[in-house]
Amino acid sequence: MITAFVRTVILYVLITAGLRLLGKRQIAQLEPVELVLTMMISDLATVPMQDFGIPLLAGIIPILTLLSLSMLLSQLSLRSLRFRELVCGSPTVLIRNGQVQQAAMAKNRYTLDELLEELRQQGITSVADVKYAVLENSGQLSVLPVAAQKPPTAAQLELEVKDDVTLPLVLINDGRLLRKNLTARGLDENWLQKELKKRRLSSPRQVFLLTVDEKGSVFCVKKEAAE
Amino acid sequence: MKRFLPPLAVLAAILALSLWNARVMESQTSHLRSQLLQAQELAAAENWPGAENVLADSYADWTSRQTYLHIVTEHDAVDDAEAMYQRAQAFAAVRETAEFQAEITDLRDQLRLLSEMEACSIRNIL
Repeated sequence: MITAFVRTVILYVLITAGLRLLGKRQIAQLEPVELVLTMMISDLATVPMQDFGIPLLAGIIPILTLLSLSMLLSQLSLRSLRFRELVCGSPTVLIRNGQVQQAAMAKNRYTLDELLEELRQQGITSVADVKYAVLENSGQLSVLPVAAQKPPTAAQLELEVKDDVTLPLVLINDGRLLRKNLTARGLDENWLQKELKKRRLSSPRQVFLLTVDEKGSVFCVKKEAAE
Repeated sequence: MKRFLPPLAVLAAILALSLWNARVMESQTSHLRSQLLQAQELAAAENWPGAENVLADSYADWTSRQTYLHIVTEHDAVDDAEAMYQRAQAFAAVRETAEFQAEITDLRDQLRLLSEMEACSIRNIL
């Protein structure tokens, strides 16, 4: 048991450190610590499930150890920025003002082909059009084009535009009435019945989706008849 | 600081349980091994009824610990020791001195192995 505990601690530290050294592009969307946790727990959980010759504790002890270590690392990361940088890394600028940062690319083992592919995927064909390209801790590349390559905003065009962005709340989800959302919008079931009547409906069960935004605009999709 | 306590408590509990388990395994197997050594000495002195009695006592103690052993250690190692106990009892019943001595020696080694598997040692960890 002590062997499983100490081995788990050693392997966790080793794999986390190894993945940090591998560089961000290997990690894809998860942060190094999360990836290690996901990989190890999924593997650990399956071994005692398949091999009945191994006691269940041999799976439970390492998983509990991993979860505790992960919680500890999260707390330490919250408290110390330096620790967070050590464990998760920090974003790296790969293109600055149209200039490829070759040293940063080499440090992150990011090839030119990968950089160009990522730019093309984001609709950019020339490095010169990029103001900043930042390799995030998750391994994703954030690309900020130069102003000339970005669609102008209303503010840049000095246009007066109406603020019509509202957040619709779902009131009926697949025939189920979400009373909490109805109350949150300051509405009641009488109002809902009226809205349903307007659409020749008698019950929320006949509705697939009904939303209402902050301005009271209702969007309704009726349920299709079952075939 | 409060947020550090739950994970630290779980880690400390696992560590304490592991160390306690290593001590329990050591004390239980050393008790069984001393019983087996006694049975070996009695058989060497041709006191077969005495050897059989001590072996039966040791087997009873072993059986009472089987559930715990299955929870904390590899089942194969426990099953091997169980088979050795059975063979040793069979050799004792037919007074096969050489076979009995060899089997008991193997069984003592197997019990030492069970205890060593749970010990906190560099050899196990590496």
